Amino acid sequence: MLRELANAGERGAILTVFDFMSDILQAWNEALPRDMKAAAVYGFVPNLFLCQRQLPRAVEAEECLINAVVVCGNEMSRSHKEAILRCVAEVQKNDYCRTLYGNALPAASVGDSALFIFAIKLARFAPWFSKGDTSALKEWGFNDESLLEAVATIALGHMLCTLADGLSPVSDPRLALACSAEFPLVPEPTDWVETQGPYLSFPAEPSEKSPSYIFFRQEYGFLPNLFLVQSVRPDLVEAEARALENLMLPEDHLSRIQKEQILVTLSAANLNTYCFTMGCQVLSVLGALPGESDEIIAGQYLGQLSPQDKTLLDEAVKLGAFVKGSRGRFDRERLRTVGFTEAQIVEAVAVAGLANFLNTLQAGVGVVPDFPPPRTFSPKDLYPSDEKSRPISDATRPEDPDAEIVTCVQSGEIDAFEELVRRHSRRVYGILAGVVGNMDDVQDLTQDVFLKAFEHIGAFQRRSKFSTWLTSIAINTGTQLLRDRKPSESLSESDEDEGFCPRQIQDWAENPERLVAASQRDELVRAAVLRLPEKYRFALLLRDIEQLSTEEAATVLSISIPAMKARLLRGRLMLRESLTPYFVRRARES
Amino acid sequence: MLTCAEFLAEFGDYVENAASPDVRAKLEEHLHECKSCQVIVDSTRKTIRIVTDSASFTLAADKVEPIVRDVMARIRTKKR
Ligand SMILES: [Zn+2]
Repeated sequence: MLRELANAGERGAILTVFDFMSDILQAWNEALPRDMKAAAVYGFVPNLFLCQRQLPRAVEAEECLINAVVVCGNEMSRSHKEAILRCVAEVQKNDYCRTLYGNALPAASVGDSALFIFAIKLARFAPWFSKGDTSALKEWGFNDESLLEAVATIALGHMLCTLADGLSPVSDPRLALACSAEFPLVPEPTDWVETQGPYLSFPAEPSEKSPSYIFFRQEYGFLPNLFLVQSVRPDLVEAEARALENLMLPEDHLSRIQKEQILVTLSAANLNTYCFTMGCQVLSVLGALPGESDEIIAGQYLGQLSPQDKTLLDEAVKLGAFVKGSRGRFDRERLRTVGFTEAQIVEAVAVAGLANFLNTLQAGVGVVPDFPPPRTFSPKDLYPSDEKSRPISDATRPEDPDAEIVTCVQSGEIDAFEELVRRHSRRVYGILAGVVGNMDDVQDLTQDVFLKAFEHIGAFQRRSKFSTWLTSIAINTGTQLLRDRKPSESLSESDEDEGFCPRQIQDWAENPERLVAASQRDELVRAAVLRLPEKYRFALLLRDIEQLSTEEAATVLSISIPAMKARLLRGRLMLRESLTPYFVRRARES
Repeated sequence: MLTCAEFLAEFGDYVENAASPDVRAKLEEHLHECKSCQVIVDSTRKTIRIVTDSASFTLAADKVEPIVRDVMARIRTKKR
């Protein structure tokens, strides 16, 4: 049945995406509902699964987990579990899943609210989760089995949100908009309790004859603690083993190593020591663990990969729990451009979903690593330079990583300034080079900017980050130099030239980077950027070249966010115009 | 249905995959019908990628420490 779908998928390539989706939607809904567990659960096949049609075994893996977690297991009612899934979607701000569980509402009892607090803490602040959170729920009558069920449901919710984030399914036409739901407010944890797990006792011995036991023995060489601790629910362990088997073992699309790398990278990003350790162990058995194990901090590790794999992990890590927004949204197009197929992209997202499922599950049951961890993560890793560990939230901005050093300098420790120069000289240089153009002056000018910053640091009030403040000084210094050179030109030149309209509409090459060597490309970009009118150039420089957030860039330029976005778009379109002749699709390629 | 001009005025968030679902739906409706806007979206994304990946304005790694040294030397001389 699923194979038929895969074939239909190939035929569908010539149809437009939308026609194709609705065709399949209909075909699948009408012909197959009885064969799809998802259909049995939802009453129809949600787009979240339809858009994985290139990889039926991923859908099977997900169905196994949904079935075991939501349908089986009788400690909690189905409606309670759906309310938890809704709660996780709210925590993750995931519109698709919010709608998928739009009718699930939190019931009103106090015990329920304890359950939702538990869910929110685990879904949003997993590294801070501790035995105390579990004990709180036990006071409301939860035992090991119902706790496991709650944790697995939260983990599943996380997985579904990851899939929706990565695959961006269109919302399901059958679903009404989500009704509004109020969940308890859970404050951001400010401190962090180190506790020793596991939080569950495991009374049941796993049967050595069970398929899952055999699977772990064969594929991992041992029964990992994470699965051992769930032995009260052999059917759940079974489903997890099936999911791992379906997703991680076949090598028809991504290789096993690529997938394990996604798992390791995401576990590191999620600060999950257990899953990181397990992933490293698997990679080292596969002979793919580069260098000393304690050197596998994400950066160094990535450095040793092929550019294609690096892009894969670069994108996959955006699906992690604590990086949302801060590293941008998952970009399928970018993966396509470096040569990944549709099925490989779906697989990468599905593996990321499974990684988040396992990460959340582990954080909830608190098992200790099976091997000495190559590295131990803690909430402190989110703010390496900060005494207090605090999560990234959308409400409060992450604290300034330079804050501590700035305090030292402000209180007279001149030597502390050295580190600020080291951290920011590249950005200051880049800004100045983009503003003044002439490369000869730029190193001297960079020094001038730091001297100015040092002189005025007493007046720095921390209304913005230090780096934002420093960037403003760099922009002003560069602009001043331009004015001194050419006093006639002014920033407020002929403003809203509404008439700008793209002229070049030739198709670009699939991999435009391949058409021009890197050094030549840098020169082309440099010349094209320098030709842009100042205001568009500055917007582009801050956002695309120095990678400030839109908000930071608007602060530096003292303009509104909409104005910043408008300038940026104009700059990008103008740049596109002047780069087009070099990157259009060549006859041979098409 | 949007016109091309309206599309081009609004697609800024879309190229960063940051458009709200309803804006995205509206834009995709146009995109579905319009080959030239498809080309513009695709080439704008590629432009962003090329610019982001370029080292056009990058300070060579071995130039960082000399700058640190010189700045600190200038600061210390001034303070004395
Ligand atoms: Zn158009």
